[in-house]
Amino acid sequence: MFEGIEMFGAALWGFLNVRTIFNALWATQLGIVIGMLPGLTATMGVALLTTLTFHMAAGDAILILICMYVGSIYGGSRSAILLNIPGTPANAATTVDGFPLAKAGLAGKAIGIATTGSFLGSVIGMFTMALFTPLIGSVALEFQSFEFFWFAIFGIVICGNLTAPKDPLKGWLAGFLGLFVAMIGMEGIHAYVRYSFGSTNLSGGIELIPAMVGAFGFAEIITVMRFTKFEVVKTKIDRTLPRLAEITRYWKTIVRSGIVGTFIGAVPGVGEDIAAWVSYDLAKRSAKPEEAEKFGKGSIEGLLAAETGNNACVPGAIIPVLTLAIPGSAPAAVLLGAMLIHGVRPGPLIMLEFPTFVYEVVAMVLLSTTSMFILGLLMVKSLVKVLMIPRQKLMPIVFVLCVVGSFSISSRLFDVGVMIVFGLLGFLLREMDYPMAPLVLGIILGKMLDNNLRRSLVISDGDITPFFTRPICVALFAITLIVILSRIPWVTAFVRNIKNRLRPPRSPA
Amino acid sequence: MTEKSMARSDFYTGIALIAFGLAVTVMALQMPPVTERGQSPYSAPGLLPALLGGVIIVLSAVMFVRAVRKLRGEFTLSRGGVKNFFAETGTRRMSLTIFLCLAYVLSLGRIFFPLATFLFVFIFVLVFEYEKAVPVRAQKKKFALAALLAGITSAAVTGVFQYIFLVNLP
Repeated sequence: MFEGIEMFGAALWGFLNVRTIFNALWATQLGIVIGMLPGLTATMGVALLTTLTFHMAAGDAILILICMYVGSIYGGSRSAILLNIPGTPANAATTVDGFPLAKAGLAGKAIGIATTGSFLGSVIGMFTMALFTPLIGSVALEFQSFEFFWFAIFGIVICGNLTAPKDPLKGWLAGFLGLFVAMIGMEGIHAYVRYSFGSTNLSGGIELIPAMVGAFGFAEIITVMRFTKFEVVKTKIDRTLPRLAEITRYWKTIVRSGIVGTFIGAVPGVGEDIAAWVSYDLAKRSAKPEEAEKFGKGSIEGLLAAETGNNACVPGAIIPVLTLAIPGSAPAAVLLGAMLIHGVRPGPLIMLEFPTFVYEVVAMVLLSTTSMFILGLLMVKSLVKVLMIPRQKLMPIVFVLCVVGSFSISSRLFDVGVMIVFGLLGFLLREMDYPMAPLVLGIILGKMLDNNLRRSLVISDGDITPFFTRPICVALFAITLIVILSRIPWVTAFVRNIKNRLRPPRSPA
Repeated sequence: MTEKSMARSDFYTGIALIAFGLAVTVMALQMPPVTERGQSPYSAPGLLPALLGGVIIVLSAVMFVRAVRKLRGEFTLSRGGVKNFFAETGTRRMSLTIFLCLAYVLSLGRIFFPLATFLFVFIFVLVFEYEKAVPVRAQKKKFALAALLAGITSAAVTGVFQYIFLVNLP
């Protein structure tokens, strides 16, 4: 415990220099701008910046990426409030109460509340992360191949289920397609090259970063260019710094949303958008009747819940990245990729191999959160102008960065091709309501699933009982099965039928 | 997308994904069993791909059957619907974006990078800003601004990547 505080203090002290603070400030500001612009998401920002910071020192690069992540998830609230369009999917719940507040002439207040909520959410998430990462890390040391196999399946099923609430089948299909993508190239046990069709480039496998730059960058450019322009709400932006009483009144909502957001962040692949909606829904259910009526019409509590929830999700999503090498959200998946590129090996051994790194990440989150809070309350009026930049002027520059970024990692035009293919594929899949998060999670978890399945079967000599008898395996299998069964219509109808039969008959009035 | 058009897209995607799953499984089964090298048969490289292929077939078959039930025989696209889709401004804007981006990527390695980038940004901005009804003379400012933006982008990207990050640009 004290060792952890000591390492956190040392990491924070190490960051208190002009260069680091400058990096934190510009990256967070860039994140806010990217988050603000509808179509440019946190995932795209982190993926693009991974390619741009590729040549930097590991510490600097990861700090910049975390700042971009925190900044963009917050930045999306700006367009949600002023345009009624979430800047990133994470801010969809923010529009529900943020935009009515702006229309009522309270845009400044709404921005201030969103900033404070995001800040407090990040802080709660950061504390949870500092507390639980070493704990989960030490538990994860006990995991064997059997558990990792189930973690991968569990991740795909849960992520597919939650990111495609209307049709989980498409979420699962996207996840399994992602797992297949990870099969391309040389496998890790016998060095056999799979699905490369004689291509030297394909035998090296599909790199995660160009694929993500395509799926989240190029695909979004195409989507954004479909429409002509957005209308910014005409409102006066006055005082943005909220009054203390406005915040303390809702302390229960803040704490609840912070914890819920962090927990949802830690679930594999389930990102900030779900965290915001769940926090918002819980706040609405537990609000006092007079407050509950305001939800959807400009409720401060609703806005706080959504923004606290989505930003708390950010540190939450980093917890499984560090302890299990499983991303909690799509931007965290890129962050995981970036850590691997920079020579950090996240996973159960992190507390043994890089114990100080975990606390460095906590300090990075604190630095980015503080930068976000300060920058979020400053330059509000001037940043509104960013929303007015015509998309035809911005998108070609973003595309040039997508191309150069994909190319710069391995200096191969093949990676640019990967970016294009995944961009077009991502666009088509999204048009047909397939979520992108399970696909990305599949690409990341594919190798882990493959190696652990084969390793487990070799250890048990083909006996599959350990997959269903080890305690953690039983729990993961049971949750996975329940999730799948709960989405099969005839199963739910059957359960409902049994429930009705078991219910005692009502006595006639 | 309407429910009907979504069902139609699920119908066709279902067929494509079943075929894809079959191809993945067949290729996985053709992978070496590694037992001849004295290795455990459970470490065979085709094991997981075969399972994944199977899961993809099952999931897409469910989607296909569900789409068939929803469509009730209306599988083919109406000519009018296709025509309307291509006539939409949004579709045209998207197609134009894809075309310009692909043309830029294909020019890489063939045209000097800064020139290709300049031309891409310049043409992209103009294509979406140029108004046919307005005389060219009245749109001089648009041309100048597009050229300025293209010049700055090309110079900044080339400068930063080539000279600061030391990347050999295509």
